[in-house]
Amino acid sequence: MNLNDFIIMRHELLLTTVIIILLIAEVFSIFEKGEKSISEFSFGIEMFAILLFLIITLVGFVPSGRGMLFGGMYQTDEIRILMKNILNIGTLIILFQSVSYLRKNENKEKSTEFILLLFSTLLGMNFMVSSGDFLMFYLGLELATLPLAALAAFDKFKNKFSEAGIKFILLAALSSGVTLYGISMIYGTNGSIYFSDVSLTFSDEGLQILAFIFFISGLAFKISLVPFHFWAADVYEGAPVNITSYLSVISKGAAVFIFIILLYHVFPVISKEWTYLLYALSILTMTIGNLFAIRQQNLKRFLAFSSIAQAGFILLGVIGEPQLGLASVIYFVLIYVFSNLGAFGVVSAISNFSGKENMNDYNGLYQTNPKLSLVLMLSLFSLAGIPPVAGFFGKFFLFTAAAQKGFYGLVIIATLNATISLYYYLLVIKAMFINKNEQPVEYFRNDFFTRTGLLICVLGMIIIGFASFIFDGIFSMS
Amino acid sequence: MNQVVFYFLSAVILVFSLLTVTSSRILRAAVYLLFVLIATAGIYFLLGYNFLAGVQLTLYAGGIIVLIIFAIMLTGSAGEKLERPSLNKFLLAILISLIGTVTSLILFFAYHSFPVIGNEIPATVKMVGASLINPGDNGYVLPFELISVLLLAAIVGAIVIAKKATR
Amino acid sequence: MIHIPITHLISISTLMFFIGIYGFITRKNLFTILMSTELVLNAGALNFVAFNKYFYPDNLQGHFFALFIISVAAAEAALAIAIIIAIYRNFKNIDAEKINEMKY
Repeated sequence: MNLNDFIIMRHELLLTTVIIILLIAEVFSIFEKGEKSISEFSFGIEMFAILLFLIITLVGFVPSGRGMLFGGMYQTDEIRILMKNILNIGTLIILFQSVSYLRKNENKEKSTEFILLLFSTLLGMNFMVSSGDFLMFYLGLELATLPLAALAAFDKFKNKFSEAGIKFILLAALSSGVTLYGISMIYGTNGSIYFSDVSLTFSDEGLQILAFIFFISGLAFKISLVPFHFWAADVYEGAPVNITSYLSVISKGAAVFIFIILLYHVFPVISKEWTYLLYALSILTMTIGNLFAIRQQNLKRFLAFSSIAQAGFILLGVIGEPQLGLASVIYFVLIYVFSNLGAFGVVSAISNFSGKENMNDYNGLYQTNPKLSLVLMLSLFSLAGIPPVAGFFGKFFLFTAAAQKGFYGLVIIATLNATISLYYYLLVIKAMFINKNEQPVEYFRNDFFTRTGLLICVLGMIIIGFASFIFDGIFSMS
Repeated sequence: MNQVVFYFLSAVILVFSLLTVTSSRILRAAVYLLFVLIATAGIYFLLGYNFLAGVQLTLYAGGIIVLIIFAIMLTGSAGEKLERPSLNKFLLAILISLIGTVTSLILFFAYHSFPVIGNEIPATVKMVGASLINPGDNGYVLPFELISVLLLAAIVGAIVIAKKATR
Repeated sequence: MIHIPITHLISISTLMFFIGIYGFITRKNLFTILMSTELVLNAGALNFVAFNKYFYPDNLQGHFFALFIISVAAAEAALAIAIIIAIYRNFKNIDAEKINEMKY
C-alpha cells in the first residue's frame, strides 16, 4: 500500500486507528474515572476522543482524487469524500453534545464504550458509502446498524431504553435479511457482486425488479421510509437523545447517500420503475410523517416524526433530474445535519437539565432561557424552510430538481406538506415565545461543549444560507 | 443416492422450519431450528462446499443455537408455553408469505436468461484461505478485516449491555 | 455434478425465507422472533451458495458471501441476546407485547 492509497482511504484508516487507540487507552485505563467530580475542562477520555476526531475531520478535507482499491471493492471520488466529510461534521457535533451525557455519574464508567460504538458505526457508514460491491455494502450496512442497537439500549437500567434496543435490532436484522435475499437474487441473475459488473447486465425483467425491491428494503429501513417508519418513532423516543439525533441525522444521511449512488450507478436501467416506486413512497412518507407529527406532545417524538417527513422530501431530489438531484440531496442533508442537530441539541440540553420533554414544558422558555429559545427557533425555521435560513434553499433545490423532471403534482403535494409542517413547527415556537407559564424551565447555563456544538449548528445554518458558492461547488462535483 | 439424500434434507428443512415458527414450546423451537441449520450444512456438503459446511455447523449450529438455548435457560423461560398468535396477525402473516412465495417462484421460473455454466473451480480450504487474504481481484481481505471490526464492536456492545451494574 | 435441478434448491430457500417472515410477524416471544430472523438469513445464504454452484462456478463470490453472512448472523444474535437478557433483568419477562411501555 503506497502513500496515495493511504490518502484515498484516509477516512476509514484513521477512524480504525482511533478506535484501536481508544480501546488500548481503555484497557490500560490511562484516563482516570470514578467518583471524583470533574471540572469542565479536565482531560478525560471524551476530550481525547474529540481531539482525535477533530483531527480526522480536518484531514478529511485534504483534497484527493478518485481511486479504486482491493480489486474494486473500495472506490472513492470527490463526491463520496464530500459525503464522508458531511457525516464527520455531524458526528463531531454529536460528540460535543454527548459530553455532558457521558459525564453523568451513571455513564462515566461506560464512556469509552459509547465512543467506541459510535465510531464503529461511523466506520461502517464510511465503508458503505465507499463500497464497490454488494459484500462491502452489506457489511458496512451491518456495521452501521448493529452497534447502534447497543447504543439505543445504552441506559439499560431504564425500561424504555432496552426496549428501544431490542425493537431496533430485531427489525434491523429482518430488514437486512430481506436486503440480503435481494442481493442473492441480484447475484443469481447477474453473476457478480461487483457494482461495475451488475450495472452492465442488470435488466428490467420481473425477477430482477423483485430482487431490487427486496434489496432496497434494508436502506428504506435506515431512511425510515413509510412501510418501515413504525420502528422509528419508538426507537427515537426510547434511545438517549444524542443517539436519537445520531439515528435521525447521520445514520439516515449515510443511507440516503449510498441509496442515491446505487440508484444512479447500479440500477439506471430500471430508472422508470424506481421513479414510480419512490414517487409513491415520497408522498406516503411526507404525509404520514406530517400527520403523526402534528399529534405529538413529546418533543423527541415530534422531532422523530418530522424527520420521517423530511425523508419524504429528500426522495423528491432522488427522483429528480440527476445532476441537480444529486447535488440538491447532498446540499439538503448538509443543512439538515445542522438544523436537526441544533433542534435536538436544545431538546437534549433541556431534558438533561430538567428532565422535561413535553411541549407544554416549553411554554415561556424565552423568558428564562432566551439564547436556547433563539437557537431552537432558528433550527425549526430551517427545518420548516423559512427563507432567511439555509433550510429554505435546501427545500427549494429539491423541489426544483423534481420540477425539472416534470413531476408538478408531486411538487404541489410536497408544498402542501411543507405548509402543514410549518404549522406544527410554529406551534413549538409559539409555545416558547407567546404562551404564558407559571413555572417555566429555570435559567441554566450549558457547559462549554454543548455551547460549542450549538454554535457550530447556528453558524452552519446561517453561513450555508448565504454562501451560494457551496451549492455551486457541490453541483459542479456531481 | 445424492438425490435421496437431497430430498431427505429438503424435507427436514421444510418441516422443521415450519415447526420452528409454530411450535408452542420455546426450547423445542430452538432445537428444531438446529435441525434446519444442520440440514442446510448437509446441502452445502452435497454441493461440494466442505469448508462452508463446516463453518455452518460449528458457528451457526454449534455457536448461535447453543447461545440461544443458553439464554433461554438463563431467563428461565424454557418451560413456558407460547401464546397462539391472534387471528388478524395470523391471517396477515399467511397472506404476506403466500403472496411473496408465489410471486418469487413464478418470477423465478419465468426467468430464462441464466448463463451457461463455466469451468468449475473447487472450493478447497487452501483456495478459501488464499482468497481471504488476497487484496486483488476476487480477494476478500477488506471484508475480512471489516468483519473483524464488526465482531469487535458486537463484543463491546454485548458486554456493555449485558454486564451488571457495578454500583 | 449432482443431478438435482436448481429450481428445487431455490424453492426450498424461498419457502424457508417466507416461513421466517411468517414467524417474524406472528411470534411474540423475543427469542422466537430472533430465530425467525435466523431462518431469513439462512435462506439468503442458501440462495447464494446454490446460484454459485449452478451458474457461476468459475469464481466463489456466492460462497464467500455465505461465509460472511454466517459471521454477521453470529454477531447479530450475540447482540440481540445481550439486549434480551438486559430486558429480562428489568421486566422479568420477555414477551414483545407485554413490554409495551411506549404508546403508539
